[in-house]
Amino acid sequence: MVRFLAISLDHPAHYVSVGPFSVSAGNLMIIISMCVIFIVALFLPFPDHEKASKKSERVGGKR
Amino acid sequence: MRHKLSSVDPSKKWSGPLREYDLVKEIVVAVVVVGFLALSLAALFSSPDEKALTMQSWSIQAPADFVQTAASELAGTTTSASYGPPYNNNGSGQNIGPINPAKISGITIPIDPAKSFVIEPLAIEPDSTTKSAIAVWSLASSKQEITWASAYSDALTKDGKALALADPTGAYGPVPTLVTALYSMAQSGALDGALTTSDTTLPTNFTKPLLFLADSGTYFPDKAAAQHLSGDQWGVMNETGSWPGQSWLWLYSLWYQIEPFKSSGNADILVMSLMGVLSLGLIFLPLLPIISRIPYWIPVHRLIWRKWYQRKS
Repeated sequence: MVRFLAISLDHPAHYVSVGPFSVSAGNLMIIISMCVIFIVALFLPFPDHEKASKKSERVGGKR
Repeated sequence: MRHKLSSVDPSKKWSGPLREYDLVKEIVVAVVVVGFLALSLAALFSSPDEKALTMQSWSIQAPADFVQTAASELAGTTTSASYGPPYNNNGSGQNIGPINPAKISGITIPIDPAKSFVIEPLAIEPDSTTKSAIAVWSLASSKQEITWASAYSDALTKDGKALALADPTGAYGPVPTLVTALYSMAQSGALDGALTTSDTTLPTNFTKPLLFLADSGTYFPDKAAAQHLSGDQWGVMNETGSWPGQSWLWLYSLWYQIEPFKSSGNADILVMSLMGVLSLGLIFLPLLPIISRIPYWIPVHRLIWRKWYQRKS
């Protein structure tokens, strides 16, 4: 019912094939996005990471 | 420094660093962000709405394939007819060594394709010619039924395009009448209703029409291939149209593309068993000799906990 808003994906997909491997463009985009998010999550600290670390980290189990 | 698990005293209080962690805040943020993304993407891209394939669409779009398959169902030469458990005893089912799960579970959904897909649906037709043909079929021996149906099925397949063939010598018995009646029933849409309501009042059980469709020689396989849904196209990963599919099933799909799984009649049980072994390997990863050393060679955890390691050094 929200067709006027939707971008239609109801058409044949594009496929990337290398040897026995075959992946649709949609799946490839999702896989690449997941890899990018994983790498970004590794390097990008949380906004309050620094503050929270200083505030809450204690050595010796005393809080 | 490497600590052995066995050297840690579980009764001793943790003396390392502590960090406050607002789990509720994280859950709320995750639910809000994922909910917003799901609703936004659903509004933007909608969702697949592929029309269901039916007996009616099959008989209209590929009539020759429909009548050939119907004759093959009577002859007992289709995939359903020779599948074995859980439908019938005409096949052995897949096995790995002496283990055959299909045989162990037995016939739980009894289906005789000739009876279930052709004779039973036609029995509700009021037409007297059809009723006479059903009576002749039912009174004949199994051997005679197979002789009639095989002869007609072979003739239809040989012709390729015919929807019905003349039978001047009576070699096909009542089969041409039965197949033509089923074809008419399918074109009207009545066969879809008859197959889904033969066991239940409400049309909620699609086992029979799905099996019948899967026996199709060209219609169903061609539809699947056009949408990249066949097994040799990594189909389990794909979705209809251009929507992304189930990419996390890539490892299951991979085995079906390579030997010995690709050409094995036991591919399903072999692949599932292999995935079971690999899953066990994942569970017991810390105990595996070489694999457990990977974090020391590729220390991704040191990147995640870099501040801790910086302070430690």
